[in-house]
Amino acid sequence: MRLRIAASLAGLLVLTLLAVPVLAQEPLRIGLQAPITGPWAYEGEMARNSVEIVRDQINARGGVLGRPIEIVLGDDQGNPRQSALVAQRMVSEGVVAVVGTYGSSINEPASTIYERAGVVNIGYGSTAVQLTQHGWQYFFRTCFRDDRQGAFFAQLVNETLQAARVAILHDNTTFARGLAEAARASLQEAGQAEIVFYDAVTPGERDFSPILSRMRARSPEVVYYTGYYPEAALIARQMRDLGIDAVFVGGNAAINDEFVEIAGREVAAGSLMTQEPLPTDLPYPQSKAFLDEYVKRHGQPPSSPWPVYAADALNVLAAAIEATGSTDGKVLAGYIHDTLQIDGVTGPISFDAAGDREGAIYLAYEVASDGSLVPYER
Amino acid sequence: MTLFVEQLANGLTVGAVYALVALGYTMVYGVMKLINFAHGELFMLGAYLGFTVLVSTALGGALPAGAALLVIILLAMGGVALLGLTVERVAYRPLQRANRLTAVVSALGVSIFLQNSAMLLWGPRYRAYPGWAVPDVRWSVAGVHVGLMQVLILAVALVLMLGLYYVIQRTFLGAAIRATAIDHDTARLMGINVDRIIQLIFVIGPALGAAAGVLLGLYYRQIHFTMGWSYGLKAFTAAIMGGIGNIPGAMVGGLLLGTLEMLGAGYLSAAWKDAFVFAILILLLIVRPTGLLGERVAEKV
Repeated sequence: MRLRIAASLAGLLVLTLLAVPVLAQEPLRIGLQAPITGPWAYEGEMARNSVEIVRDQINARGGVLGRPIEIVLGDDQGNPRQSALVAQRMVSEGVVAVVGTYGSSINEPASTIYERAGVVNIGYGSTAVQLTQHGWQYFFRTCFRDDRQGAFFAQLVNETLQAARVAILHDNTTFARGLAEAARASLQEAGQAEIVFYDAVTPGERDFSPILSRMRARSPEVVYYTGYYPEAALIARQMRDLGIDAVFVGGNAAINDEFVEIAGREVAAGSLMTQEPLPTDLPYPQSKAFLDEYVKRHGQPPSSPWPVYAADALNVLAAAIEATGSTDGKVLAGYIHDTLQIDGVTGPISFDAAGDREGAIYLAYEVASDGSLVPYER
Repeated sequence: MTLFVEQLANGLTVGAVYALVALGYTMVYGVMKLINFAHGELFMLGAYLGFTVLVSTALGGALPAGAALLVIILLAMGGVALLGLTVERVAYRPLQRANRLTAVVSALGVSIFLQNSAMLLWGPRYRAYPGWAVPDVRWSVAGVHVGLMQVLILAVALVLMLGLYYVIQRTFLGAAIRATAIDHDTARLMGINVDRIIQLIFVIGPALGAAAGVLLGLYYRQIHFTMGWSYGLKAFTAAIMGGIGNIPGAMVGGLLLGTLEMLGAGYLSAAWKDAFVFAILILLLIVRPTGLLGERVAEKV
């Protein structure tokens, strides 16, 4: 027994000695809050992979302010309660700033805590509009707000498709209605295409023929459905069954493999979707370099749009610390709000007063005849 | 006018499915005075069984399309009938002497059990009937679009319902069922094996439900393990509308409910569809508490 204690103490001593050279360089501790386990575990894992690549890139250049970056990982399990606990821990461990997290409803409790502690927190997948309407000073996000997608749809209709008559359908969920309202507002503002039909369906419903029959009478050229894929697939198919040959456009929750399976390939082919670009479709040279590194390490590119936004969150933090020479939350937040402008993995990045990213980078995707999603080219 | 005819066709299609499921509720109620809350789940399992047979066997290629569909529907009906028999044996027979509330709780338990079993067996995601099962034939007459599947559903449902009506009204077996519905003890005195009749009810009802499930899967192509609940509720409503315990009532109730629903969604608002339907149900029950055809108490089954 005594021997074991002695051995432990010796081990501890060795570890301390080993740790000394690292401590000597005073690493910058930056938090990463992500769903490493739980229902969104794959998202958390890819975000962690992405952030680690940026960390290694920065450290290879000599770090920030001459100090290497150290990532402090916090697993919020995609659970709001756990998220608050993780945020508490991050604050008490004294991290400089935080990257995170994925889900909007998960981010909300954590951001409240970071805000109170004055710790800059940059979300990477939390797109809900309300997050930037609390007047928070320390919250930012590198992903775009849901309603920006509506503006992109308006642009797609007016410039790319050049359609004159548009129908918009949503399913009354917060997300889908928000997107539909944003699309309608943007279309009305542009004043080109006319909205000839605007209505909601009930989620979980299977027969949409009554509402589609009414829509047919208004002969739309483009139909935009902002809800989720189970209803989207049935709507796309029942549209064809009723002889509506308008272009079906889905929001970023409407089209995936199961959409194609339920609608059937012959119906799904030619459907469009407005979405954040997949990492593989980003056009910037820095995205290519990042992706090459990602593929080298993990064998394949990230399968969802979100992980690269986490990479950019760390890029933003590193740039802000370097430029201000400070690790003070208030200084960093002020700089990111007003001055920061960098070329990130996901394109040019700057923020407005609310903490939202400026601009909007979306892509239209098309379902190809083999059921895969490809960037849409007219 | 085009809109009206089209909604009518849609309504009759959905209504035929409701009617087939409603028959299961009404027959069990007629004979046992029990609402079989597991019936919606049996309908859902019919859809899943049909799906499994369709995707996992070579039936599609081996037989001509029509025959293959018939075989699939019959297999699903047979499978779910067996299941219905098991449910009766396990969940209801032991409670025959218990009060009615106990049986209802047991029914809810079976419902939850079946729903979760389906989730574990087939997974929680939506499953899709393969598109090749029914050729995508549609007709457009004077602007009215009608599909082959709609005609098929209506035809199959009508044949099944007329067959059932014939059996109940014109055969000895049907007379025995009707007698059991009126009074178990007297029926027993007449030499009718009441337990057998109850078992028979639990074969016919679930089989009809399974047929509805397969038809629905073929029509919308999309099935989910929770769909038994919503369709079960609608079918139950249809049974009440027509007069619960009354077989022609369930048929009329189902078709009426489907039609009202589609016309409501077409002319009023899709979002208010269910509110519209249930408002009519409440009005109907105020005027006729026994439902549309519910007053022929002596003949209820």
